Amino acid sequence: MHKADFTEITKDKILDIASEKNRSGCPIVVIAGYIDTEGRPVVSYSYDVMGQIETYKCIDEKVLPSITKVYGTAAEWFEEEISELMGVEFEGLDSKKRLFLPEEFDGTGQILVSPLSKLKKN
Amino acid sequence: MGYTIPIGPYHPSLEEPVYAKLYTEGEIIKDADVYIGYNHRGVEKLATEKNFIQTLALVERVCGICSHSHPFAYCLAIENIAGMEVPKRGQYIRVITAELERLHSHFLWLGVAAHIIGFDSVFMFAFNAREKVMDALEILSGNRVNYGMNIIGGVRRDIDTGKKEAINKAIDDLWDANDSLKNIFLKDKTAAMRTKGIGIIKKEDALKLGIVGPHMRASGIEYDVRVNDAYSCYEDFDFNISTYPEGDVFSRIVVRILENYESIKIIRQALEKLPEGSINLGIKIPKVPAGEFVSRVEAPRGQVVYYVVTDGGPKNYRVSIHVPTFRNAASVPFMLKGNSVADASLIIACIDPCFSCLDR
Repeated sequence: MHKADFTEITKDKILDIASEKNRSGCPIVVIAGYIDTEGRPVVSYSYDVMGQIETYKCIDEKVLPSITKVYGTAAEWFEEEISELMGVEFEGLDSKKRLFLPEEFDGTGQILVSPLSKLKKN
Repeated sequence: MGYTIPIGPYHPSLEEPVYAKLYTEGEIIKDADVYIGYNHRGVEKLATEKNFIQTLALVERVCGICSHSHPFAYCLAIENIAGMEVPKRGQYIRVITAELERLHSHFLWLGVAAHIIGFDSVFMFAFNAREKVMDALEILSGNRVNYGMNIIGGVRRDIDTGKKEAINKAIDDLWDANDSLKNIFLKDKTAAMRTKGIGIIKKEDALKLGIVGPHMRASGIEYDVRVNDAYSCYEDFDFNISTYPEGDVFSRIVVRILENYESIKIIRQALEKLPEGSINLGIKIPKVPAGEFVSRVEAPRGQVVYYVVTDGGPKNYRVSIHVPTFRNAASVPFMLKGNSVADASLIIACIDPCFSCLDR
């Protein structure tokens, strides 16, 4: 099993690293994100480098370059998910539609098919 | 004349919600879109509210079929953050359960594929084989679906001589059942006509699409997490990565049949070489320091990836779950293009999708 290997990077390094990994034939394992304890968005890119997972984390950036121009569809849904659920924008991500959220959702409140306020007791 | 044909979101080819929009010209699909997000259950959010033991029960329910792979990947992440070394016997039992789960999933999918192509006698035959796997899993774990085998630091239940004999008997029967399925799928003309040359993904496209698991191996790519990033004790076993070069639905059937043989081989070796000793570390409430880890296991449909972040407290700070269908479903529009509308449901189903897992 691989060992933990995390590196913090700035956003200008994201595309360079993605291009280098793609040239070396390293598949992307996952792009994941979360909001850290200080309220900053953290987006991490994990690559499989000969069985070892290398993870590069970009912290506190609201706009990131899309790596879909390097990895194509393999990175598309990952970026769309982070974009929808964390509000991080990916420059160059060609997204025609929402991935998880309904088209009519404006980003606030709850998504309910039948709002509780409209339920009536018989 | 062109039509836009909606399929789904309910029961498009299997009993899970996904919506596909097909843009057609006559019988031929010119383009397609896939819409997901119909089954969101908030599992990742819930995981941040639970402690490490409660999370095991939660992630086991992300998927009914890969219900061992999810807690397996979660345990690997927590054990790595905490620096725990699982006893070898516990690792072997985890592998035996994982391979039985793979057999369960592959027999089920072979049955579903047969049902979609209108070959219901094979559907019943495959499901009969699947019943035998579930019987074996019940003998092993006491459960037929959510096995509850994993705990942080090992497994819950041991394997005694009686269980070993019963599982060995079951996998001998399954080898014969797999032989029969192989003969049917490889020799039957109708099965070949419905599956050969359908939904093709060539090797170079598979790499661009980032597909995983048997779906990828059916495009001729020799990649399996059990070998390429061997976790638990997979390096102790002698088995092959099953591939097939054509990249069509037929290849996906062949790869899964071949993988069944490899799983049976792994289970036989694991039962034979089962080491003595304890099955877990005996930890009731694990103390996990602050840290993060990306773990992955080769689930029946491909790699399941868990990104777990802990903050030193009793709960998870973040559990990000990515399942194989998340990677493979993105390839569905590509596969649909150029095929006939009649093959759409088979193409959607050929990735062995689990949309509940995907939406988690």
